[in-house]
Amino acid sequence: MNTRMQGMRGWLNDRIDLDGIVAFAKHKTVPSHRHSIWYYFGGVTLFLFIIQVVSGILLLFYYRPGEDTAFESIRFLMTKVQFGWLMRSIHSWSANLMVLAAAVHMFSVYLTKAYRRPREITWVSGVLLFYLTLAFGFSGYLLPWNELAYFATKVGTDIAGSVPFVGGFVIELLRGGEQVSGATLSRFFGFHVALFPAIFTVLLGLHLIMVQKQGMSTPIGHEEEGEQRTMPFFPNFFLRDVLLWLIVLNILAVLAVFFPWELGVKADAFAPAPAGIVPEWYFLFMFQVLKLLPAHVLFLDGEVFGVLLFGSAMTLWIFIPFFDRKSQRGQRGRLFTAIGLCVIIFILFFTILGWVML
Amino acid sequence: MRTTTIRTLLVLACAFLIPPPAAAQQDECLTCHEMMDDAAATAFTKGVHRRAGLTCASCHGGDATSDDMEVGMSPARGFKGVPSGQDISTACGKCHDDAERMANFGYEGPTGQLTTLLGSAHSRHAGESKQLLLQCTDCHGAHGIRHAEDPASPVSPLRVVELCSSCHSDPSYMRRYNPSLPTDQLAKYRTSVHGAQNLRGNSKTATCADCHTAHDIRPATESTSSVNALNIPETCGRCHSDPEYMRGSDLPTTQLAEFRSSVHGKALLDRRELSAPSCNDCHGNHGAAPPNVASISNVCGTCHALNADLFQQSRHATEFARMGKPECETCHGNHAVQPATLELLALDSGSPCADCHSESTAPQGYRAAMQMRMLLDSLMETVATAEKRLDAAEQKGMEIDNIRFSLRDARQARLQSRTAVHAFSLEKFREVVDPGLAIARQALVAAEDANDEYYYRRHGLAVATLFITLTIVLLALHIRRIERRQKKERDTQGDHTVS
Repeated sequence: MNTRMQGMRGWLNDRIDLDGIVAFAKHKTVPSHRHSIWYYFGGVTLFLFIIQVVSGILLLFYYRPGEDTAFESIRFLMTKVQFGWLMRSIHSWSANLMVLAAAVHMFSVYLTKAYRRPREITWVSGVLLFYLTLAFGFSGYLLPWNELAYFATKVGTDIAGSVPFVGGFVIELLRGGEQVSGATLSRFFGFHVALFPAIFTVLLGLHLIMVQKQGMSTPIGHEEEGEQRTMPFFPNFFLRDVLLWLIVLNILAVLAVFFPWELGVKADAFAPAPAGIVPEWYFLFMFQVLKLLPAHVLFLDGEVFGVLLFGSAMTLWIFIPFFDRKSQRGQRGRLFTAIGLCVIIFILFFTILGWVML
Repeated sequence: MRTTTIRTLLVLACAFLIPPPAAAQQDECLTCHEMMDDAAATAFTKGVHRRAGLTCASCHGGDATSDDMEVGMSPARGFKGVPSGQDISTACGKCHDDAERMANFGYEGPTGQLTTLLGSAHSRHAGESKQLLLQCTDCHGAHGIRHAEDPASPVSPLRVVELCSSCHSDPSYMRRYNPSLPTDQLAKYRTSVHGAQNLRGNSKTATCADCHTAHDIRPATESTSSVNALNIPETCGRCHSDPEYMRGSDLPTTQLAEFRSSVHGKALLDRRELSAPSCNDCHGNHGAAPPNVASISNVCGTCHALNADLFQQSRHATEFARMGKPECETCHGNHAVQPATLELLALDSGSPCADCHSESTAPQGYRAAMQMRMLLDSLMETVATAEKRLDAAEQKGMEIDNIRFSLRDARQARLQSRTAVHAFSLEKFREVVDPGLAIARQALVAAEDANDEYYYRRHGLAVATLFITLTIVLLALHIRRIERRQKKERDTQGDHTVS
């Protein structure tokens, strides 16, 4: 047996330098300091993404896109398929938790200035992954083809369509026509299960390679405190990661069982929009701001102004490492910390306001 | 000179023959035209207008006080000659639309007839002429106008039917104005109780104007029409629920009150459902008559077709005919038809089944009724329980739309059973109820499964959570052990790497 294992190890060594990988893993360390807790959120996001992929594939076995089949297939899944309800509930809840974990991860990276040189590519790929996560949420929301999803998508695509110059093209691209219809459902399905996963995989691969290559960043100030404290990645950090994943799995199971994701009423394009149509919670702050904006701001339509404002902010956010010169030099800069805190407060305030004003 | 003598004699004669006008006015026109044996003048002297003090000039213009024809009929004095077209009705309306002027004649009746007529069907069907289709004189006559109660009046109760039918029974005439309107009203009316009584000289019985009104005649489709479905109960009830008016008739006067309390009356009058029957839907309109014993199921069957079909094929149809019992009415009543509840299919005293069926006298029917009732009770109870259990499962967040959808078939069976009962055959009744009962039972089982599934999920979660929590604890202990060991190793090696 032992000989056989050694044989296999040798076979792998010849091909993938297994001993080299094991040696790398053995010597890989993670900085240990009072902000180390934030390192785990990347892993939690990855774990939730894996759950998304697995539960999504299981849902795909039964889901049939189409105006006449989407809702019915989900209903069949939830009522007739063994543990189908659990799969859908887990997929929906883990999607929401993934957005939350990714947001926490992104803002913790921002506030610890982990984006500074040489980790600009990691930051850019991470932010793009976060935007893709939101796009996953938006496209997946429509797939059950229920009333709430239908009208939320209508509102969402209307907003996207108000972008100057390209709005008409964007709305046509998203909807596949003038109205939200079966064509929109087909497109969103294509985006959700093919296009976005493909892009996500590439970006995630790049992100993880960069993390492995450059290791974890130590916050400014901590690296100056003499010799750095570290912990081995294997097994210490990895087992702690697994521990947190199990806790998240427990939370997910409780949410999925105690708060099963409702299917609602099938979408009807001719029915009046139900009262209180709101987007998913992670888009609520944008929706609330757009609602509160005056009809005209300067020479622009209020909604157009809002869309341009968020579009610009999201674009600038990608390039933050290149603007924050102080952190690039390894110096503490209060301006960008203040900007980050303002963004967090802004998002929290308008999200809460959106809930209150529902 | 001779003329003067004759005129004087005539005036004296008239003074004895006719009562003096309310406001006697000199009418030289009449004096001459009477001498000319003008039928119009003769008729005028017998009409109400002459007695009210009107002169020829009141309608024709001119100066009735002048015995000089040139002066009396001078356009300068306002002479208009024979009014034509709408000028006729305008002339009538000058007084009859003016309550104050009518009061001056001592008249206390209704006014505004011309205004009403202008809003009626007789105005609107006039076509492009923009003139009234009917002028006042077409019905009331021109010169010898009498009170409507006067038997000599063409609009008197005994003559008005002939008057209306002079146009309405003429297909070629009616085709010009309203081709879709039937022209058999008079023929039907003569077959009705009203028509027969009218022919016998009973002036109290309903005629055209009693239902359609005299001047405000509107199509039945208009909501303000007196013969609109929603207004018909009131229209009929004006006579039929007035004990004083109906004195001498053997008819009861409770029909309207009973109808109001009935399932039909509530649908029609409270919920304003125009598909619900009004008086005329059962009794006919122009041919109004009470349906006789043998034809009741046909009348009710106009709407309740399936029930009537099943009843006609049932043994009850022949038995009821033999016993002289009115078909539907025997169980459901007539004007006061109440919603058909389970109590109708019962064997308690007072229930319609129990009137004929008892365990000793008609055991077969008694047992069939009892079994039908038990089946229906089972179906309703199972459906109700399934619905309750589904509500409970839904409250727990379970997806039960499919089960609820299938339960619709059971509810449909419950509905169909209400029709099937009219076959009065246990076998046919079971054909409807048994499948519904099976569906309801399946739905109940599925609803119970959904409720059980809820608890199964929670128990499953408890087990899974316990297992994961245990793994977490073990893992945490394992990490602690590893890190202690690493610390010990570092301490011995003097390694500065801190775990």
